Amino acid sequence: MAHAIETHGLTRKFDGRVAVDGLSLTIETGTVFGFLGPNGAGKTTTVRMLAALIAPTDGDAIVAGHTLGVDDTALRGSVGILTEQPGLYDRLSARQNLRYFARLYDLEPARADSQVERYLHLLELWDRRDEPVGTFSKGMRQKLAIARALLHEPSVVFLDEPTAALDPEAARTVRDFVKGLKAEGRTIFLTTHNLPEADELCDSIGIFQRRLLRMGSPGELRAGLFGAGTVVRVVGDAARYVPVVRALPFVREARSDGGTLTVELDDPDSRNPDVVDALRAAGARIRYVERLQHSLEDVYLRLVGGHQ
Amino acid sequence: MKKALIVLDKEWLELRLQPTLLLATLILPPLITAFAIAGFFAVGKISGPIPQGGPLPPEFASLAPREVAQAIVGRQFSTLFLLLPIFIPSVLASYAIVGEKRERTLEPVLATPIRTWELLLGKILAALIPALAITIASASLFIAGILAFAVTDRVRDIVVTPGWILAVLVDTPLLALIGVALIVVLSSRVNDPRTAQQISAVLIVPVLGLLFGQLAGVIVLGPALALGIGVILAIIAAGAVWAATRLFQREVILTRWR
Repeated sequence: MAHAIETHGLTRKFDGRVAVDGLSLTIETGTVFGFLGPNGAGKTTTVRMLAALIAPTDGDAIVAGHTLGVDDTALRGSVGILTEQPGLYDRLSARQNLRYFARLYDLEPARADSQVERYLHLLELWDRRDEPVGTFSKGMRQKLAIARALLHEPSVVFLDEPTAALDPEAARTVRDFVKGLKAEGRTIFLTTHNLPEADELCDSIGIFQRRLLRMGSPGELRAGLFGAGTVVRVVGDAARYVPVVRALPFVREARSDGGTLTVELDDPDSRNPDVVDALRAAGARIRYVERLQHSLEDVYLRLVGGHQ
Repeated sequence: MKKALIVLDKEWLELRLQPTLLLATLILPPLITAFAIAGFFAVGKISGPIPQGGPLPPEFASLAPREVAQAIVGRQFSTLFLLLPIFIPSVLASYAIVGEKRERTLEPVLATPIRTWELLLGKILAALIPALAITIASASLFIAGILAFAVTDRVRDIVVTPGWILAVLVDTPLLALIGVALIVVLSSRVNDPRTAQQISAVLIVPVLGLLFGQLAGVIVLGPALALGIGVILAIIAAGAVWAATRLFQREVILTRWR
């Protein structure tokens, strides 16, 4: 299978209102794809379509080797989904919850039991296996819901806000677990508002607001929007060096903030020595020279903000 | 079908973990039955004339006072066995469906390879089977009590009629099915199991009509009437199940149930 997920013009309308507009994307097998967008952007609708929970109004998709709308029951059996709300049976124990879903995912009783045990151990819930889920903390519930999504060993996993409202320690556990899933060769479709998390986990990212605004690796998105650059920290006020670097023919833009000089240019690796020479010739005393880093948040805000 | 049984198994497991609900729902029929038999036995001991609040059905005309007393009590209680299958599954189904909607557990279930009809069937069976089992068991106990304590065979024949037995066996399962289907329909609109129960309680109105009609002598629940009611109920049940099935589709549940 070349691609884990492939969509062409996937569209969903609700009573004439377009929730998802012509989504076309390709996600490679064994990668983590981050799906970012503001609330109400249509992310959950997209996940529901790709998990064969609701039908698209138009367009088509192949998920985990199954064509959407052809054999949706088989498709659902090949993917795992962590829904926005954990949705657990509070009166049942962790083991009873998982066993029920394992059976719904067509695992035979013996295999269901071994998978339940495996994931309760992996997610550090084994010691609480026979306690009612209603007594669990938010983090434990989330981990149990993740275990539920994996019982049948799906090749594609949809995780909708997996670390939302978790404390830092629980969030770290979940992120490490996602990395482990990727290492096992699974494809992860991650919906999140946590941009540093997306930056850390994702091989590629789609920024989405009813339609796909931009897609690429985090590095590609940064470079595509902001270009490359260099940050020079000098002794004293950097403002007087702005005209010096602006005079250099390869510099696109320069600005200062206190002792920091930000220089936008196309090829920092080969041009930085010239920048440093020019500054030193102008009398600057240089503390540091660093690569200009734009956060994924900058990318997101520019794209989503520009679209609104 | 296998997955419907998995759902059924889970529903009953949840029910066993709610002893209050289980007790409140399933203890009622045996209690009512015991009370009915005790009352039937007690009025059989009455001697002398009994006060009458109104005209009696024609078949009571030749009965002795204590026969009349037993016949009235027996007939009143016998109608309760037509109400129980409405009440019990409504309670169970409302917790099984509205509860699941409220806890937001339906989406993860719908994300599995289960077909929606399997899920619906599992839910319906989980509510219907205990309700019908306990109703039929209680009705059998009631019949045994009538046979044991009827002061004469005439009383027994007035209370335990072929029409009543047919109604219990044919009409009550259909009434129960209508009740559960109505709960499914209501579940798409309400978030409190008790609201769904209260609205579905409207189903007891025609049964009460039957009770009062019988007591007033206007209606005689013979086999033909029981079967006729069965046909009408079957048509209503088919419509209710059709409506429930339409509302219990994956897409409808996820996008329209609020």
